[in-house]
This record gives sequence, C-alpha cells and structure tokens, in this order.
Amino acid sequence: MTYVELHARSAFSFLEGASLPEEMAAACAAIDMPAMALIDCNGVYGAPRFHLAAEKTKIRSHFGADVLCETEFGPVRVPLLVTNQVGYQNLCRLISRMKLRVPRKSEGITTYDELAQFATGLVCLTGEDQGPLAVALANGGFTAAHRTLEQLAFTFGRNNLFVELQRHHRREQEARNQAAVSLARSLGLPLLATNGVRYVQPAARQVLDVFTCLRNHRTLATAGRLLSRNNECCLKSGAEMARLFADLPEAIANTTELSARLEFKLTELGYQFPPYPVPDGDDMNSFLRKRTADGEIARYSQRDAAFRERAHKQIARELALIEKLGLAGYFLIVWDIVRFCRDNGILVQGRGSAANSAVCYSLGITAVDPVGMELLFERFLSEERGEWPDIDLDLPSGEQRERAIQYVYERYGKLGAAMTANVITYRGRSAAREVGKVLGFDAETLNRLSPLVNSWEYKDESDTMERHFNDAGCDTSHPRIRKFLQLCMALQDLPRHLGQHSGGLVVCQGRLDSVVPLEPASMPDRVVVQWDKEDCADMKIVKVDLLGLGMMAVLEDTISVIHDQHRENVDLAQLPADDPSVYAVLQKADTIGMFQIESRAQMSCLPRLRPVRFYDLVVQVAIIRPGPIVGQMVNPFLERRLGREDITYPHPSLEPVLKRTLGVPLFQEQLLRVAMIAANFSGGEAEELRRAMGFKRSEKRMREIEVKLRRGMQENGISPEAQEQIIQSITSFALYGFPESHAASFALLAYASAWLKCHYLGAFTASLLNNQPMGFYHPATIVKDAQRHGLRVRPIDVLRSDWKCTLEPDNGQFALRIGMRYARGMRQEAAEALVAARAMRPFASIDELARRVSELRKTELVTLGEIGALNALGGASVHRRDALWQVERAVHGTGPLLREIPDEHDASPLSRMTAEERLVADFSGTGMTVGPHPMRYHREQMNRMGISPANQLPHLPNGKLVRAAGSVIVRQRPGTAKGFVFLSLEDETGIANAIIHPDLYQKNRVTLVSERFLIVEGVLQNLDNVISVKAHRILPLHITQAETTSHDFH
Amino acid sequence: MFACLFVPDFRVEAFVCLEPELRLQSVAVLEGKPPLSRIIAMNDRARDAALELGMTRMQAQLRAPEAVLRMRSPEQEATAHASLLDCGHAFSPRVEDTALDHIVIDASGLDRLLGDLSQVAQQIAQRGTSLGLQTNVALASNPDAAIYAAHGFPGITVIPTGAETERLGTLPIENLFPPPETLETLYRWGVRTFAQLAALPEVALSQRLGQEGLQLQKLARGTFARTLVPAEAPLTFQESMELEYPIDLLEPLAFVLARLLEHICARLESRSLATNALHLWLQLEDMDRGSSIFERDLQLPVPMLNPKLFLQLLHLDLKSHPPSAPIGKVRLTADAVRPRFAQGGLFLPVAPEAERLELTLARAKGVVSEERVGVAKVLDTHRPDPFRMERFEVTAPTDKAPVAKQSGRVVKRIFRPPVSVVVLVSNGCPVRLQPHRDVLACSGPWHSSGEWWSDQAWQHEEWDVAVREKEEVALYRIYRDMTKGRWFIAASYD
Repeated sequence: MTYVELHARSAFSFLEGASLPEEMAAACAAIDMPAMALIDCNGVYGAPRFHLAAEKTKIRSHFGADVLCETEFGPVRVPLLVTNQVGYQNLCRLISRMKLRVPRKSEGITTYDELAQFATGLVCLTGEDQGPLAVALANGGFTAAHRTLEQLAFTFGRNNLFVELQRHHRREQEARNQAAVSLARSLGLPLLATNGVRYVQPAARQVLDVFTCLRNHRTLATAGRLLSRNNECCLKSGAEMARLFADLPEAIANTTELSARLEFKLTELGYQFPPYPVPDGDDMNSFLRKRTADGEIARYSQRDAAFRERAHKQIARELALIEKLGLAGYFLIVWDIVRFCRDNGILVQGRGSAANSAVCYSLGITAVDPVGMELLFERFLSEERGEWPDIDLDLPSGEQRERAIQYVYERYGKLGAAMTANVITYRGRSAAREVGKVLGFDAETLNRLSPLVNSWEYKDESDTMERHFNDAGCDTSHPRIRKFLQLCMALQDLPRHLGQHSGGLVVCQGRLDSVVPLEPASMPDRVVVQWDKEDCADMKIVKVDLLGLGMMAVLEDTISVIHDQHRENVDLAQLPADDPSVYAVLQKADTIGMFQIESRAQMSCLPRLRPVRFYDLVVQVAIIRPGPIVGQMVNPFLERRLGREDITYPHPSLEPVLKRTLGVPLFQEQLLRVAMIAANFSGGEAEELRRAMGFKRSEKRMREIEVKLRRGMQENGISPEAQEQIIQSITSFALYGFPESHAASFALLAYASAWLKCHYLGAFTASLLNNQPMGFYHPATIVKDAQRHGLRVRPIDVLRSDWKCTLEPDNGQFALRIGMRYARGMRQEAAEALVAARAMRPFASIDELARRVSELRKTELVTLGEIGALNALGGASVHRRDALWQVERAVHGTGPLLREIPDEHDASPLSRMTAEERLVADFSGTGMTVGPHPMRYHREQMNRMGISPANQLPHLPNGKLVRAAGSVIVRQRPGTAKGFVFLSLEDETGIANAIIHPDLYQKNRVTLVSERFLIVEGVLQNLDNVISVKAHRILPLHITQAETTSHDFH
Repeated sequence: MFACLFVPDFRVEAFVCLEPELRLQSVAVLEGKPPLSRIIAMNDRARDAALELGMTRMQAQLRAPEAVLRMRSPEQEATAHASLLDCGHAFSPRVEDTALDHIVIDASGLDRLLGDLSQVAQQIAQRGTSLGLQTNVALASNPDAAIYAAHGFPGITVIPTGAETERLGTLPIENLFPPPETLETLYRWGVRTFAQLAALPEVALSQRLGQEGLQLQKLARGTFARTLVPAEAPLTFQESMELEYPIDLLEPLAFVLARLLEHICARLESRSLATNALHLWLQLEDMDRGSSIFERDLQLPVPMLNPKLFLQLLHLDLKSHPPSAPIGKVRLTADAVRPRFAQGGLFLPVAPEAERLELTLARAKGVVSEERVGVAKVLDTHRPDPFRMERFEVTAPTDKAPVAKQSGRVVKRIFRPPVSVVVLVSNGCPVRLQPHRDVLACSGPWHSSGEWWSDQAWQHEEWDVAVREKEEVALYRIYRDMTKGRWFIAASYD
C-alpha cells in the first residue's frame, strides 16, 4: 500500500529534529515514497532546501508547520499542511504575526481565533504528544477531546481536519490512539497515519536526545523522561507503516489521498519585486532609459566616436533585454540606493557580475567600464536563464553601511524589506562544547577538549580528530571520549539557530510576510526572513546585498585624512591611471595592506607576473584562486608571460577571446565566449554551461553539455585534439574561475589601495589601523612595514593620541600617532572623555588626569602607564615605572591623613624598564611596538649564528644553504598545498618566507604551531625574484617574552 | 627562635615516605577524573625525565614509561602531615600547624638542650628523615622568616637575628604569596625579589598598597613579628578498652560498650555537645589467623546524647553484623556536634520521636536487611520500575500535601527482581510462557531503551499478555532484554 509521510520534522525545527531536509528527501526516494510533507516547528525554515532536494530526487514535496497555539489546557502544537498558494500565504502570515509580536528569541504563540482567521487553504492534523487532541485528552478527558475536535472542525472545516495516529510502540500513545479512533468515528472525521518523523535513521535518536538536553539545559544523565523512549521516530517505509496500521488501513490510504490534495509547490510563492515610483509621464522603462542616458554621457563623453557608438549600442541592447524581462524596477531600486550613498558621502561600488553591464556602469552602480574591457553581458543577465540578476554593493563596513540599510528599510517599510537569515550550524568547536556539556563534562574538561577539534584547512590522513585527542593525552579508547567524538561528528553541519545575514536585503511589493515568515531581528524594528540568502536566490526572491568591505572603509577614511591633514582632495574615480611608481612597488611584491594582493600567495606571484598596467592587476587579482593551481592554468600563463613558452591557441577562432590572457583562459567570461565561438552556444546557454560545471555539478548534466559542446565544435571544424584541449580547460577551470568583471571591480580597489599607500603612506596606514581587524596581517606587521617605508610612528601618548590613529606634523612631513584604541582594555568612552578633557586644558600630572577624567578605570590608567602613554605627563625624565608608581598613588584613594604628604622623593624608587621589559609591555599592552623590532636587539647574536636578515636573502644565490629567523607573523596550511606549511618570518629588515614539507611539519608540529620566534634552516629558492627558504630544520628561538602574535590560517 | 620544617614536593613525599624504594624513581602525582587526570606534583627525577605539570597520564607514560604515576591520595597526605606534626611535637609543645607541607616550631631554649642553632636544625631534619620525610629546615628569629627561608633554600638554613633582610633578599617575590593583584602590581614595578620590595620607601608604599603593602614589606625584610599559633590537639571523644581476655558473646560486650558510652556521653554533655555518628572499632583475636580489625559506623539522623539508646542501636547492629572472632580490644569514637534545638509547631501533627524512630528502623533493618528499609524514591527515567531506597527521615510537613490523582487503571504488582521466563514466540508475538502457559491474548510490543551514552545502556521489548493459569486467566507484563536476549516477567496485573 502506498504511504506518504505527512508529518516529518527536520533539523530546521532547531533542536527538535536531527536530520537535514536533503537527507530526508534522499531517504524518502530511497524507499520509493512518492511524497513527503515537511512540518517544522513554527516556521518553514527548511522548505527551500527540502523543495530543491525533492525536485532532485523526484519526489513531491509538501509543506506546513507545527504552530504553537494557546488553548484552555495550555500551549499545544497544531500541525498545519498547505494545500494551495492561499494556504501558504496564510501560514506565512500567521507565523509572522505570532513571531513579530514578541521579542527576538521568544517563541511566540498564536490563538484559535487567529487560526480561524488564517485557516483557508490549510489542513489541520490533530498532532502528536503536544498536539491539541493529546493535550485535551490528558487534561480534560474524552469530553474535552470531543470539544477540541469540534472546535478544530469548525475552524478548518470537516474536510480539512484529520485525526492523526502514530505508532511508536508506546503504551500511552496507543491508549490515545484508541480514544482518537473512537472520537473520529463518532464525529465522522478521517484518520491519518503518520510517523512523526524526527530523523531518518534510528541511530540519529542519540543526536535528538543531545538536542533535547540542549533545549532544556540538562545533561543526558539528568534529562530523565525528557529524552526519547525509543528510536521509532525514524522514517519508515510504506510496507512497515501498513504493517503497523494493519487494523486501520484507511489511515494509510488517507495519506495518499491527502497528499494528492496538497497541490502547493514552493515555486508558486506569489513573490513580486516592488515597482520603483517614477515621476508623472514616465514609466519605469522610460525613466531608466533617461537615467542611463544621463550616465552614458558622464561616463563615455570623453571617449572617441567609435567607442561611444559601441557603448551606445551595448547600452541599447542591455536596456532592450531589461525591458523585455521587466527588470527596470530592480535596476532603478539599486540605482536609488547608490544615489542615496553618493548624496550622503558613502563610498559605494558594485561588485560581481553586475560589472559586466554597461547600464550598471552608466547608472554609477559599478566602476568598471565593461565596454572598454570587452566584458560579457550574458554573464550578468540572459534571457534563457530566467532568473533575477544579482547585484552586490560594497560599502564601507560599519556605520556607513548601516545608514544605507536603514534607508532601504525606511523606503520599503517593515513588511516590504527584511534581512536574509544566516543559518548558524554546529561546527567543530561549538559542537564539541555542546556535546561535552550534555555528557556532563566539567568546565575544565570542556576547556581542554573543545580546542582539540582541529580546523587547519588542510587535513592529511593522520589529521583525524582521534589523533588530536591522543596528542593531547586523551585516551580515545575510553568509552566516554569515544561517545564524545562520535556525537561531535554527528552534530557537524546541523542547524543550531537562525542568525541575521550581514548585508542581504530582500524587498517585495506588498506583503513580504505572505511570501516567507518574518521574525524580529536583533536590532530594534528590524525583521529577518526565515531563509538564508542561498534559499532566497533558489526561490527567485530578489535580494540586494549591501556588503561591508573593510577596504572601502579604509579608502573612505584615507581620503578624509588626506583632506584634513594634507588639505588635498583625492577622487578615487580620478586617480592617475597606470602610475609607474605603483607598479614598481607591485612588481617587488611590496604589498602589505593592499587590497586582495597582500597575501603570501599573491606576493609570490607578483614578481613573476610583473604587472605594468591595470589589466595585469585584474589578472593578478583573479589568478590566485584554489582552482587554477589545480587546473594547471597559472603556470602556463606565467611561463608565457615570462616568454618561456610560446603563446598558442586551441583554435585560431579563439584568439580574440584568449589573446589578452596569452591563450590561457583565466576568467569565466572567456569560458563563456569560448563555448559561444567554438560550439555556437548562445550567451544564455554558455552561462548554463558555467553553472553546470560549477559547485553543484551534476555528472549527467555535464555529460549532456559536453556532447553539445563537441557537436558544436565538430560543426565548426575544430580538430579532435583541440576539442579535447578546450573541454579540458573548460571542465577543470569552470569550478574556480573568477568572473573578469568581479576581478576588475576588485582590481580597482586594489589599485586605489596601492596608489594611496604609495603616495599617502601615513594616511593610508592610519586608516588601515583604524579599521582592524581586516586583511592578512596583524597591526604589528602593518606598523613595522610602514616604518620600513619611512613612516615615523609614534606611540600612544595621552597628551596627543585620539581614540583612533591620527597623523601629526613632523618636520614638514606627517608622523603617525597610534590611537588609544590600541591600548588593550581601553574603552572608547573613557578615551573620548580623556580627549575632551584634554581639549579644555592639558593635564599637568597623572594625579590631575585621574582626577579630571573620572571615566578612566584603574586598569586603563595602569595600561597607559605600562605602555609609556603617561610618560609625557611627568617631565622629561619620567619613565614608564615612574608613571606606574604615580598611577598607583593616584588611584589608590589615599586617606585624608596621607593625601597631603608628598612623595619622599620626586622620582620613584623604581628602576627604569629594560628594553626587553618595554617590549613585553608594548606587546601585552598594545599588541605591537613602535620601537625597534625584537630581532633588532639580537642582531649581533644572529650574525654570530649565521642567520641572514630578511632583506639580504634576495641577494644570495639560488640553492645556497641559509638560516633565516624572525617572529612568525603568518602560518598557513592551504587546502590546495598537499600538506605543505607556509611560514612568514618577520625581522627588523623585512619578511622572509619559508616552505615546510609535510614530513618536517609532522616532526616539528608543536614547535611550528606554538613557538613565536623560529629559526628556519634550509635551501634558498630564488626563482623569478620570488624568495623562499625550503626548510630542512626548524628550531625555536627564545629571544623575548614579548607576546607577538601570528595570523594563522587553520 | 623559630624553626620551619618544610617538605618540598609534599604530595609526592606523601607516597615516598611510606614506600622509600620510590625515592630512586621518577614519581608523579595525578589529580582529576580519569581519563583526564593530570600531573599536579612530581619529584626531581621525574622533572629530569622531562615530565611536566599538567601532562595527562597518557602523555606522561609516553614521555617517561618508567615513571611511577600515582593518583593523589588525601589519606596518605594526611598521614604524612601527621608525621610532620609528630616530628614538631618531638621538639616542642608549641608547634604551629601552618600548612599541609610545612609547620613552625617554637625553638626557644632548644639550643640549651641540643647545642648551637645549626645542631638544633640538624636534629630536627634528622628526625624528619627518620619519619621518612625529606625536609628543608630553617631557623630564624620569627616564624615567617623561618617559613620563607625553608621554602627558598634547600637543606638547613640558620639566619642569625638581624640578618633576615639580607639573607632573604635574594628570594623571588612570588615566595611571599601576595594576592594576585598585588603581585601583578609589584611585577609592573619591576620588583622581583624580597630585597627590592624591602628597599621601597615605607610611606610611599603605604600610599600605594596600604597596610597590606607594608605588611608584605615587613615580611620581605624578615622583620614581621607575629605570635605563633600553636596547634591544638583536636577535640576527640574516643574511649577504648583493652580486655584482659577476649570475649565472644554480645552480652559481655554490651557491658563494656555501656561503660564506654556513658563515659563519652558524660564528656560530650560537659561540653554541651551531642553526637550524630558513632564509630566502633574492635580488635578481633582469632586463634588461627591472628588479630584483625572489625569496624562499624552508626549514623544518626539527628544529634543525640542518650547512652542507653546508643547501646541498643549498637547491640542491634552487632546482632545483624556479628564480629567473626573474639574481641580483644574495643574503641569507640563519637563525632561531636552541636545538640539539636528544635521546637515543633503547636498545630502541626506530632512526628515520632527521633530516638524511638531510629530504634524502630534499626529493628526493622535487623529483620529485613539494611537495604530494604527506607523510602522508595521514584527516578525520572524511562527504565522500567525505576526507584531507589533512601534513608527515612522525618521532614517538616508542608502546607500542601500532593493529592494523588484518581485513576481507574489496573493495579500492577512488580516482581523484584523480575522473574526469568522462557517464552515461545511466533510471528514476533509471544505465544507461550513455559511451562504450559499459553498466551490467550497479547498487546505490544512496547519498545523502550535508554542510557545509550553509558555502559548502562538497556533496551527492552515489552508485552502485556493474558495467559491461562490452571483454570484462571492471569495478566502479566513480560519483557525481553534485547541486550541479553532473555525474557522476564516484570509484573502481574490485578
């Protein structure tokens, strides 16, 4: 007998289900169940994922929700199933209403009256243990249950109420079933068998038990009967269910009947993008044309006639397609946001595939000219694809981005715009902590165990969690530890709770709450949808991503500092193009702090690529991706670039497409064009090809497309060898390639950051330090790099420093003054109070400072004293310990008897800090030092040990045995490097790079991971001016107690 | 003068003093719940073998397979500490029980008995060695200077009066054990040794660290004078009696016990105290096996002071747990506690008198065994028949007694322990309970399982069955223990 499971709960019921929707759909298909209904608690969180998975596995997906409802016997869970679009919209609005009237993280509850209000299109089941029938029976007996069923039948209609029966081999449940059957018979209501599925496999009951404990803040040992009685809530086949309900065959038969009635598909959301309000006499299309035309003049009027003509044609083509697809409103809305930002001095730039559009460029949404760069519009928008374009806007992270988001809210209202959600899942440490708690481990054990869950990016075969536990001295053969490990693994990637995505905004015409349920966000008056941004995209809901980009904030701040200090105006759009001084720096890979080109991998590529023009930078940004290394594309490109390899093309017809990248495809657009030219694909088909090869690749689809590709190439007379080469490059590359447009947008920012660093080092460094954390390096490294480039950096000083880092005049130049934000433990309000008090009158002594700035806490004063920020307050000879001596008196609150007694001596009896003590204080108090690098103090000793300074390495011959040493500033073990570890060691002269073989790493793991300073001995590799030491031996170097930090990419 | 006797690596010494052969081996002491126990102390040999504090047992075994690893033993530490005190008392009645690993002795006048100060120190150290403890001994003009010197300098140290500041000056500041905040401040000031702290100007120091700072400074200078707090012998209420000839009957023993109890109770009463626990210690004289020890503990629900009652309770207890051989020596100890002050409410029902209740419970225990007397407490678990016996205690009645819900369900009589049974199964259903009890009807299976996270995991398949027994129909709850594959009758239904 066919059976359909109509009451399944996924892990998106947050701690009340233990399997992912995808697992449920796959399991359903595996047992030949034709359909399944996902009923999660108070939401449709898992619906899009279930819908997509069901489509893939060719089962029908039904949707609904278990809605919490207040009754005379207390709260009950009413399972509701959606029959049609009206029902879905009603369910969404019901849940939204329930959620939005209570604060965030409260559950919210509905009432029977509200159920009645939104009952149309919904089918009600009588529920399980916490359902209305069970609760009424338990509290009011048969009569109350009868009354409840009458009420539900009245609310939903007799045809839309099913008496639900479940058989989990539990006595009390069966007793309830008997009552339910008798009630159903007396009221003439249909019976419905369900299994109340909460996990796919019986073994997952353990995960559900762990979740139950987490929900109830108990341990497994104390949870008692809150835990499941058995593991029967798994997915059961039709045959099993038929056997269980052999005495009630109609309960099984009704499942298929009801399933047939549930016609709603998640593709019928009824979502509409809002129209943009236009002036009288215009429609959205004409208004967009006008705005584009205005932009076209501004953008292209300086170019020659032929170029203008080409641009005009492209714009016309794009506008025609936009009109045809009815997308004018979308472009206008994004334009409107960009206009708001510009009017309010907020730096904004579109990224991603939108940069392929000349319309976007004309509207000022993007900053890259797609006509000049011959970018491919189809990558952005195509008729065949039938989906909304995706425009991401980069904004300075922080307050400015917040203003832009607020603007969208104001404009579209609470029910018209919402943030997309961010599903927080259990990952290594979080899973370990929670499982440990539930197993009853004490805090100390938890602290010991949870960090053991390794997260280095690369994991070799020996890198198992078990091995890490053994290394830490935990016996993995112990049953409790084994269970801990097993549960940690089982919890991985299961949803934990719903967060808020940082920038994804969904806008809708009319009521967004009838498309997807809304919930309160953590910020007041904000709402968040129940789906994350991938789900929204899958459901074709248009979103605008307002992304915070640290570098945008740096650029904005730099421009503002230049304006304030240098009295110069810098316009990012008007930066001198192809400035040779910038490229000279790039060729030397001297790029610390620069956007996208500062990483170790980028630095090792720059001297070989030797960029000389903007397009080289576009290539540079795109080239360091995990894929091209795998796809064997970088080396051929660089070899050709260095003239060591001939430039060839798979087919002469592809020369125009691949010429710019020396015959090697590097960008997604090239791949599309290759398919278009070589195999006569249309733009849309080519984009389809890219998607087929993308992350979610399906073997079948790839094979279909390959056949089509080969057929097209055959028709164009391309030789079989060339065909093979083309297919090879497409399949190996499509997964990781960067869109050229996106690379170009990022390259603009990279160029801007490089130009500003070259010409306004002080302003750039100050802004970079003010926007930390961001980028690849710690502030200590940024400061040392700036100092090596000639910038004078001054320490924190209470008489001069602001909260942020600032510039101050210094012999006709500018020196950088570190801001108080770098004093560890310093609060912004205290620093600002200090600055305000100082502005009125400078402080004459530490006593006075403590007295006048009451906001300053003792710990803050002590830190300021320790790092030397108070030295200026006590006269010329005051040292840090003097200051600390005075701080202690100032804050100790001496009684009236001693207050007036002056110190016996003017100076403190304490001795001056040694250089080492100052270093330790600097690093512990500010995380950096503006004084000499720790290695500087030991150079003579280093020389005696035969250690070469970093700046000497480029002058040594390739293959020479060398010793390099320094503080470890970066440790990397990239997933693509087969277990190799890359170290960057900093000394007072610069940075030396070392490559550690996996075997050497295994032997010296503890030293490599835990030591702050290292000596690396090995062979110098100097290839194409890329310098590194291939390590043979690693030794710890103990020269200071200073707590230097490294950026470890685990 | 004062002498400080300090045992370095005390937790290790607690083992070594009883097993001297360990002195030649690497020894480390661990603490914490296995398997996550960590090293908390070790001897020098273990340090030489590269063991480190905080290592787990597994790490230690990997690093030094030959090392002896022991779990911390508070009992052995207490014994070692007692030896330390004994050592002190051998020289002076005025011994301060300062800490677990060190004591201070008032050594005034010892020089007249034992020779000069260094000879005094040597003799104290020798005494420690004879008790199996390796100690540092320091003599100084005040207790604290002696303590710091014993901690800071190995072997024997004698500090002449007036030389304290100079002698202690090299010691690290942490040896003063200042509060963490003060220590942090001193570190920040660059003060690392006693001498540096001693050199700071007093008024300025008191302005910054207050009286606490000044006291620390005096300690660092070795000039802090305080009165020794001699350890008082703990107040024990213990009586013992060595019998002229062994007795093997309870009656004569009762006579002995009555005397001891009366004596103890009189002592307790004189100090306005009572007892809530009696410990009986008997030395048994077995002709064949020699002497052995027999002990019984009697826990009382409330503090009492009634020798007759105590005798009755002990008598009942010994009746149900008789000693196995004649008794040669009797020792009785009472834990002293404050007597019970309680007054019942005027309108509350009268609770049974504690003494009589205890007697009744003791009699009941004698009849049905100890573990069957008390209050059954139902446990919160799916495990069938979950309860635990807890000690019966009279609790103050609450205003609202829980009202049992009326229920029309059948009554279940549980077999404890469950009765093993052979069950014939057909098509997954039980059809016969051997021997010859055919199943007329059955309901089930009811599945339950739990405690999957521990080694107590269980899994049952339950059935309710109606079987023909002779001419009647009986209803049983039977279950199959899935982990053992065996059937049991859990209960019958009325």
